[in-house]
Amino acid sequence: MTKLDVNKRILSKNEELAEALKEGFDRDRTLVLNFVSSPGSGKTTLLSQILVELQKTYTVGVIEGDLQTDFDAERIRAAGIPAVQVNTNGSCHLEALDIEKAMVAFGKLDLLIIENVGNLVCPSSYELGEDAKVCMLSVTEGEDKPAKYPSMFHVSSAFIINKTDLLPYVDFDVQKCRDFALGVNPTLDIFETSCKTGQGLDEFIGWIAAKIRRKKGE
Amino acid sequence: MHEVGIAQSLMDVVFDTAKNNGAKKVNKIFVKIGRLQAVESSSLMFAFDALKDGTIAEEGELIIENVPLTGKCMDCAHENIFEQIFMQCPKCGSSAVQILTGEELQITEIEVD
Repeated sequence: MTKLDVNKRILSKNEELAEALKEGFDRDRTLVLNFVSSPGSGKTTLLSQILVELQKTYTVGVIEGDLQTDFDAERIRAAGIPAVQVNTNGSCHLEALDIEKAMVAFGKLDLLIIENVGNLVCPSSYELGEDAKVCMLSVTEGEDKPAKYPSMFHVSSAFIINKTDLLPYVDFDVQKCRDFALGVNPTLDIFETSCKTGQGLDEFIGWIAAKIRRKKGE
Repeated sequence: MHEVGIAQSLMDVVFDTAKNNGAKKVNKIFVKIGRLQAVESSSLMFAFDALKDGTIAEEGELIIENVPLTGKCMDCAHENIFEQIFMQCPKCGSSAVQILTGEELQITEIEVD
């Protein structure tokens, strides 16, 4: 019987590849944002609306992660934005290897958006070489989600409360939701958005644009 | 349910380590799982048992140490174990709490023949 010291992160293979991807993105000065949420919170709709604006100034690409279908990539492409679909075939999150493979479709970008598989748990453990994670919640999901699924809110830099046009019809306490989220992560930048009324979209576009400019060294 | 993926990654690290050290059989695997990782021990155990069949870890035992979430207040230096992930210092009420433990997802050592 021999004891062997290992002292290695279990996901070290993914983390090493994510680190290599990050070095490449940093060299190219590409801002990479990893969008995470439960299914149906409105990631794809929000992205197609804000990226149309950002694309007027910046070179943008999207990697779409889903278990099956290329519906989401089609929707992003329909908005005139280059998109690659990755099907995880049952796996509940994207891994760094998926990003490495998908990147061959793109030239040099100012902004790469990764829309992760809809899931508020697993994607928080898998680094993809991103600069920041953005987590999203729609008001139909309940204000207590940041307390129930804290890991995702803990590792994110921004938090979007989406579908605010539905607030008159649901019992969703925005202030409570903000408090829960800030309790888990006091540094979160929080946005309230509606893709129906356009509320908050300019503000969020501004947040991304400032990050792109910083990454480009402008 | 990402425990299967995590169990697979765990096996990869174990097999690499065993191979590099000329081991024939893996008897015990010690891991640390931090509370913030949202990994369910029983699910990880189940996935490990399913994956180990037919490998050098077939008779191996997975020993999981669950690491609590602890933090240190940046304002008053009080250290505390947090049951919830609302990291507010119970002594002075500050939200500026630095995480000390709870983010682990680590293989510490293995026992081999």
